[in-house]
Amino acid sequence: MSHIVVTLTQQDGTVVRIDDATADESLMEAARRAGVAGIVAECGGVCSCATCHVYVAEDWIGKVGEPDEVEDEMLDMVDHIRRPNSRLSCQIRLSEAVNGLQAEVAPDL
Amino acid sequence: MASATTQEEQLIAEGTLLDPVVHKHPRQFYAAMRKLDPVHYDKSIDMYLISRWEDIQEIQRDPITYSVNKGYHEQQAKGFAEEFQQILREKGGGYFPDAIMSDPPYHTRVRKLMENAFTAHRVKELEPRIEAVVNGLIDEIEDRGEMDAVKDFAQPLTIRIICEQLGLDWHIKDRIARWSIAVTAQIGRMQDRAEMLEHAEQICDLQHYIIGKMRERQTDPREDMISDLVHAKEGDGEGSVLTFEEAVSLVRALLIAGNETTATALSNLVYILATQPEVLKKLQDSVDDDKLMNRFVEELLRIEPPVRALSRMTTKEVELGGALLPEGAHLLLMYASANDEPEVFPEPRHFDMERKNIIKHVSFGGGVHKCVGLALARMEIKVAARQLVRRLKNFRLAIAEDDIAFLPTVATRTMESLPVTFEKVA
Repeated sequence: MSHIVVTLTQQDGTVVRIDDATADESLMEAARRAGVAGIVAECGGVCSCATCHVYVAEDWIGKVGEPDEVEDEMLDMVDHIRRPNSRLSCQIRLSEAVNGLQAEVAPDL
Repeated sequence: MASATTQEEQLIAEGTLLDPVVHKHPRQFYAAMRKLDPVHYDKSIDMYLISRWEDIQEIQRDPITYSVNKGYHEQQAKGFAEEFQQILREKGGGYFPDAIMSDPPYHTRVRKLMENAFTAHRVKELEPRIEAVVNGLIDEIEDRGEMDAVKDFAQPLTIRIICEQLGLDWHIKDRIARWSIAVTAQIGRMQDRAEMLEHAEQICDLQHYIIGKMRERQTDPREDMISDLVHAKEGDGEGSVLTFEEAVSLVRALLIAGNETTATALSNLVYILATQPEVLKKLQDSVDDDKLMNRFVEELLRIEPPVRALSRMTTKEVELGGALLPEGAHLLLMYASANDEPEVFPEPRHFDMERKNIIKHVSFGGGVHKCVGLALARMEIKVAARQLVRRLKNFRLAIAEDDIAFLPTVATRTMESLPVTFEKVA
């Protein structure tokens, strides 16, 4: 399987480039593997906790898509830090279409 | 006149979780601990009570130093553990340690096998069915104008849903209520030997029942969670499937945890509707606002957490909250105290659905052990709140607030019954 590259900017400004992500994982799983600070994923990736919240870079929103209803409800819980480009990274499936994806880790609650 | 500080010092010196007054009104004790002794040794139960939000977070972040496996199984049937296990082995089909109450990396594998059943998306599909069950229960009580919110509403609702999900027969509902109390009492630290024997007998009955159902599903799988667990597979090779013993413990955990704690949350829901008219008014005005209803559920869980406290055990000497804990220290994480900490949640006794950090409550625990059924619990509470508010009004407690009795356990804060009156919405 060919690798997918994603780049995450942590809250402390550190940029983490993950160049071995794969199409069978979510952005959250790739970020956890790489030890990205601020991606906690307490609920294990089932869209139930909002601790893997990221802001998807403007250029990538179209390719990543909008949150569905369930994810939207979860993001409502953190609406003081929610932005139009907010997504829960556990709900972003990686694929060739998002190779090169860039996002910023949202602040802790 | 004793100053507040002196009173708090006295509570720390003399208070214990087993004290009936503290058990019924624990918040002053929590506040005194947070202020004066956040890692407080309670000699009556030989445990350290962890009362601050930040210290609980630190524990939840490190499941290796703070072992759930040791903490939970040390707590189980404390004082009678050997006898309890022997009874289950002799008369209950076996003693099955709780596979989910374990530590990584073993826990990671078991958890993964359970998670698929509980995704928020799968739960979303259950919403219409949950609504139908709630409406059915309200149909039965709406003309009576009164109910016991625990036995007429909360318990039958959660039992019905978990029975349908697991694929169990509805007619065992009374047995499930008894089994729940028996299993929960094992981590409650407030049962005597006679009660332990009675509870052990109930748990034997429970295990025989689920083992029978599991054997059926081994040969004849259906569309239910027992079949899912019996046939669960993640990856290949050793450890990719659950052993039968593990699966028994998981079905047991789902049946009890999916019932007892959610039923408590639903009783608390009715309690809030009956005692906080301004909250009820806000819900009545915004019952179709899904976002507000979701926030209501979280604030309900924060202000009245069903689970008071769960345990851990240190696997090495470690410093926590300014205290040095030895290896083997048995801890209780006081979720209800953390949710009540004014530095984290300003005016903690104020029911405020607009809190920015509303999901920082620890009512579902946290870290790798965070409640696996949280999406289902949230959905049941939300749908129940919506339908109760749409169809009934003028909720009132039918007994004095101080007469509300709680189950004897340090693990949950569960009302034994909650008689209320109400009227039908015209």
